[in-house]
Amino acid sequence: MSQPAAYVITRPRLAEWVGKLIGRAQVIAPRRAQGGDVAYDIVETPDQVAWDYSTSINPLKRFLFPQGDELLRWQRAGDDGLQLEPTYDETDRIFLAVRSCDLSGVLFLDRVFSREPEDVYYMTRRQHSTLISLTCSEPVEDCFCVCADAGPFLETGFDLQLTALSDDYLVEVGTEKGQELINQAEGLFAPAPDELIQARRDLEKEVEARFAEHKSYFAAALRKVTFDRVPDELWEEMADRCLECGGCSFVCPTCTCFLTADWQSEGEGHRDRLWDSCLYSCYTLEASGHNPRAQRRDRVKARFFHKLSYQFAKELETHGCVGCGRCIATCLGSNDMPTVTARIRRGAI
Amino acid sequence: MENAYLPDVVEIAAIRDETYDTKTFGLRFVEPARWEAFQYRPGQFVEVSLFGVGEAPFCLASARDGADTFEITVRGTGSVTDALHNLEVGAQLGVRGPLGNGFPFDEVKRRDILFVGGGIGLPPLRPLIWQVLNSRGEFGKVTVLYGARAPADLVYKDDLERWRARDDVEFMVTVDVGDESWTDNVGVVGTLFPKADIEPQATVAFVCGPPIMIRFVVRDLLSMGLAEEDIYTTLERHMRCGVGKCNHCLIGDKYVCKDGPVFSYRQMKTMMDPG
Repeated sequence: MSQPAAYVITRPRLAEWVGKLIGRAQVIAPRRAQGGDVAYDIVETPDQVAWDYSTSINPLKRFLFPQGDELLRWQRAGDDGLQLEPTYDETDRIFLAVRSCDLSGVLFLDRVFSREPEDVYYMTRRQHSTLISLTCSEPVEDCFCVCADAGPFLETGFDLQLTALSDDYLVEVGTEKGQELINQAEGLFAPAPDELIQARRDLEKEVEARFAEHKSYFAAALRKVTFDRVPDELWEEMADRCLECGGCSFVCPTCTCFLTADWQSEGEGHRDRLWDSCLYSCYTLEASGHNPRAQRRDRVKARFFHKLSYQFAKELETHGCVGCGRCIATCLGSNDMPTVTARIRRGAI
Repeated sequence: MENAYLPDVVEIAAIRDETYDTKTFGLRFVEPARWEAFQYRPGQFVEVSLFGVGEAPFCLASARDGADTFEITVRGTGSVTDALHNLEVGAQLGVRGPLGNGFPFDEVKRRDILFVGGGIGLPPLRPLIWQVLNSRGEFGKVTVLYGARAPADLVYKDDLERWRARDDVEFMVTVDVGDESWTDNVGVVGTLFPKADIEPQATVAFVCGPPIMIRFVVRDLLSMGLAEEDIYTTLERHMRCGVGKCNHCLIGDKYVCKDGPVFSYRQMKTMMDPG
């Protein structure tokens, strides 16, 4: 196999290129919101892209698997009976300057939703998506992608991967779709000289060393969760700290629990898919009143079994964490991934 | 790409009162071609949509025979089931399925077959009972034991009489609490075991009912000497999507909707789950 193609683009030309992309598709990129937070959002002009951001407060999940998503509409048309019409979103989207962990999150969702039977809503959006990632050179306090094998640089999964190198951006091509974008950019990109490719390799080594300080002990936790060797008191203690807000599930790039809800008026209506959280008390409630996981302890345990057990890791190729650290910022009870794995590893509170 | 969440439209073709709170609905596909494609085995289930109310899972309660309808048996106990009870013949609903794995059939041929149903747990067993009886020569002894809380809770009274009338089926029924007209057995379904002629090593048992009944029946069957892999049950969880995506029915790493709902006791024992 030939060396993957690499290109270079200067910063002024990068803005020009983003302008062209915005003309062609919906571009979603890190964008500074009021108050200074950066969130992945639709950008209308190139200057709205916050290239210098560290992390976004939300992952990309909501653009591919929206928090409220219409699945179908119905109509009761007199004698014609019930008419059903599915609702598909075929908007072309380019995800730009996405952090490696968040791109890894999308790859995780791909595996979840492409398993048989394929989820046609997710897959339709995904087929209309282009992923342009941005490597990380500065670890953020909360993140631990190195332990999750989800960054700071990626080998595959992206259509294009950008790396900021002093005056320029190195652009690595991951797919034909990515190459297509370069070809369409008419002279904005130049083939990358060898020294720039070497500079990117050097940067990766140097960055990984610094990122390695940010740890989550997956291997030890995976072993104990897999064989159910976590003391009940530990789950109990974590349950005591859980407020059942569902925040961890909603900010997590790999959480995919959902339910549906119907809305109707005057003989027509629609069914929406909504995010759910396995920590909610009614998550497993049955119409009879029987609730198999009525205890919060059992729900916390089920959540981390899904995230950390070998049984799921085997099925989904990796544990359900990309090391983005959003649960650290979100969970008021410190039931975040690094804390939980550290406790499980120690086997004690 | 198939859309696993898009229901087919069916029409209520018949409604039968089973008990004071339970009805059986005969459903017919509006598109006849969908009925052709709707090949299912006993133990599988469907997600039924009442548009504007929601969706809920129901086991397929009838064997696929000459008719162009299939049945579900529904106790009115929640938003979807209550709304379903208020519908009349001709009303249109949505159906997704068949979903789930279903009971083994060819695999248990030549064995003795023991069915143990509790209350509203008889519907999932009913199509399998009929399938076995329709191939009666291919099985050993067939026993059907059915228990309910009270005489008024017994479903499929016609079927019960037909099974009772056959001399190639051992059929017994019991209620926890009888009434003045009840002359049959009284006691939980497990009290029928000593009265039945069961040869443990030769027998495969299919058990369905409320969780507490399943627990005691499985315990009794094991102590009688049935093998763990010869005891089958259908598990109940709130299966929402029915296709292994929404995660609500997960027990450990098993999706009840996709890996089940039928599991052997041997499988269930290894399924890691609190509750």
